[in-house]
Amino acid sequence: MRNMTRRQTSRLVKADLRNGLLFAAPWIAGFLCLTAYPIIASIYYSFCNFDAISPPHWVGMLNYRILVTEDELFWRSLWNTAYMIVFGLPVGLVSSLVLAFLLNLKVRGMAFYRTLYYLPSITPIVAASALWLWLLNPEIGLVNELIMTFGKMLHRLHLPAPAGPGWLIDPAWAKPALIFMGLWGAGGGMLIYLAGLQDVPEQLYEAADLDGASSWKKLWHITLPMLSPVIFFNLVMGLIGSFQYFTQVYVMTGGGPQDATLFYALHLFNNAFLNFKMGYASAMAWILFLITLACTLLVFKTSARWVYYPGELK
Amino acid sequence: MSKSSYAIILVIALLVVALLYTPAEKRTDGKVNLTYWTGWTGHELEVQRKLVARFNREHPNIRVRILSVAGSYQKVRIAFAGGSTPDVCSAIWADELAGYAIRGVLTPLDTFMKEYGRSGDEFMPGVWRMLSFRGRPYGLCSTTNSTFIVYNKGIFRRSGLDPERHPRTLAELDRAAELTTAYNADGTFKRYGLRPSSLVFWAYVFGGKWYDEKTGRIAANDPRNVEALRWMVSYAQRYDITRMEAFEQTFGSIQTVSGPFFVGKMAMWTTGEWAEEHMRRYAPKVEWGYFAAPPPPGGRRNTCTVGGSVFVIPAACKHKKEAWEFLNWICGPEAVKEFCLSIGNIPPLKSVAAEPEFQNRPLYKFAIELAGGRNAFGPPPVPIWPQYAAEIARAEDYAMHGRRNPKQLLDEVTIKMQKELDRTLAAFRSR
Repeated sequence: MRNMTRRQTSRLVKADLRNGLLFAAPWIAGFLCLTAYPIIASIYYSFCNFDAISPPHWVGMLNYRILVTEDELFWRSLWNTAYMIVFGLPVGLVSSLVLAFLLNLKVRGMAFYRTLYYLPSITPIVAASALWLWLLNPEIGLVNELIMTFGKMLHRLHLPAPAGPGWLIDPAWAKPALIFMGLWGAGGGMLIYLAGLQDVPEQLYEAADLDGASSWKKLWHITLPMLSPVIFFNLVMGLIGSFQYFTQVYVMTGGGPQDATLFYALHLFNNAFLNFKMGYASAMAWILFLITLACTLLVFKTSARWVYYPGELK
Repeated sequence: MSKSSYAIILVIALLVVALLYTPAEKRTDGKVNLTYWTGWTGHELEVQRKLVARFNREHPNIRVRILSVAGSYQKVRIAFAGGSTPDVCSAIWADELAGYAIRGVLTPLDTFMKEYGRSGDEFMPGVWRMLSFRGRPYGLCSTTNSTFIVYNKGIFRRSGLDPERHPRTLAELDRAAELTTAYNADGTFKRYGLRPSSLVFWAYVFGGKWYDEKTGRIAANDPRNVEALRWMVSYAQRYDITRMEAFEQTFGSIQTVSGPFFVGKMAMWTTGEWAEEHMRRYAPKVEWGYFAAPPPPGGRRNTCTVGGSVFVIPAACKHKKEAWEFLNWICGPEAVKEFCLSIGNIPPLKSVAAEPEFQNRPLYKFAIELAGGRNAFGPPPVPIWPQYAAEIARAEDYAMHGRRNPKQLLDEVTIKMQKELDRTLAAFRSR
């Protein structure tokens, strides 16, 4: 570079830019046509009566008004989704964190255990859902079989024996069943935590040991703060993922029993592809986007208080 | 490699692609090419293929190409949206026909039918009603079906019922259901007599209706519909719906030897004419009989629902005359007979249904009488019927679980669907 004139440099920069854009062109074209255009068009459609066959017909705020004032399933699906976020998300976050701690121990054959716990999270969701339909079968499923065996043991000790719930066919148990099933995929979050755990500098623990800190203190004052950016990442991704919860219920319950698992994304899908109310579904999509955005921003706002980045002065 | 060798490879690749690629439209050998989409798969698809091959042999000026879109009916809707429809399509359910017809994306067939001397009288009246919208036919069909109850004679005998005398009234049906229901020692079901399902069907049996064609209004809360739902709910209460559902979790899938009716977990089962083939294949030893759903006083005798796939010509088709030629043939007597005989369905054409191949089989004769009778009901001519039917099923589910009372639920469906229908109709009036 030192021997080049300024003009030569700028020509090089230009050529680089041109080549870069050329290489990225397929992606840029794809993004503009297949992602950006549909997103922008859906804003317009959300104000239209649009069935995908006939041309869209402007109706103003009608779709939004019907959603909020008439469609009781809209509120039902919103409530169901909120339930999964309030109860399901923390369960998922904590379980994968605990799993990561366990798999960070120095034990022989750890690579094997790590693989074992990670495997389920790369199983296709559809296949896993079909499998869980069997596991959660209230009459002949493995889960209730275990509960029954456990119950028999308690019975022998003259304690009240629990009965296995109806899981996915009982409206009261369907959402907890899905949360329970979600633990199966804890390996995904676990892997990210594990990477974070390996990054915690050893000298911090050594210093704490010299000061005579207990394991609990080390966890609370070193591990968790150092992990907080990773927790933050998993929380935000989990939040967005929970708002889009779809595949499992599409495969397993279709929204039943009695709409107990009708989540927002499923209700949206049904409107778009069963009733072909594309305009209505677009309006739903934009409401979901705004809610997700608001929640994510809220999490970001609070993050300043609990997320610690090494090197940052506090 | 140098720049020039890359360029040479690129040019060769382009040439190869260009040589291999010949647009289908341009291939002119004097024949008109038609694409035909069907929703059939497996054995049914094979028979359709054979029929298409025969049509192609017999019509040297037309070449029909068949494509199965089984399992992706949404593709059909998207094809209509994009305006790149097939020339003939049978991957459309009778339920959806009115919705397509009102949007003007189907070719009305009355002119063609007149020209070819075909008339609606050839079809069973219930089927013909389902093929028409606002007085014009928008499709034809080559199969139909019927709905009735089959029962296990052995279980009837063991329960103290006369196996040769099936229930003739609703009260007799209730009694048979009660007597044939059996429990295990721990109070769980060993077998249940009957699980009434499909409110759409039972409402017709009770003398109800879902749509009032005279006033053009949604009639979900017709008093007879409410009564039908109350009757269904009485089963949910008497036999405890949650225990029934738990029992159903132990059912094997219907098309296997462990299907619940085949192994005696159900004494009576609401099904269709395919039961004969299923029984022969999966439960050859079970003795069974059949009867039409018995009505309450004031209800309808010999009620059944008809439906199925409809053959249409999309409005965007460029070769309508040839498409009609094919449609007319595949829904004509010869092809209908062959198709129905090989897949075990009922022919919707009266002349074919009257032939000995169908009339000599008692079950078929019976099923044909039902489907061809005056109490055969297809989907009502409501453009939002798929959504409406889903709402009815939802109301049924809520009522069966005692979540709200039948009248209230069906009132809600009526209000909601009337609004939906009004909006849909207004949208097409204003254009």
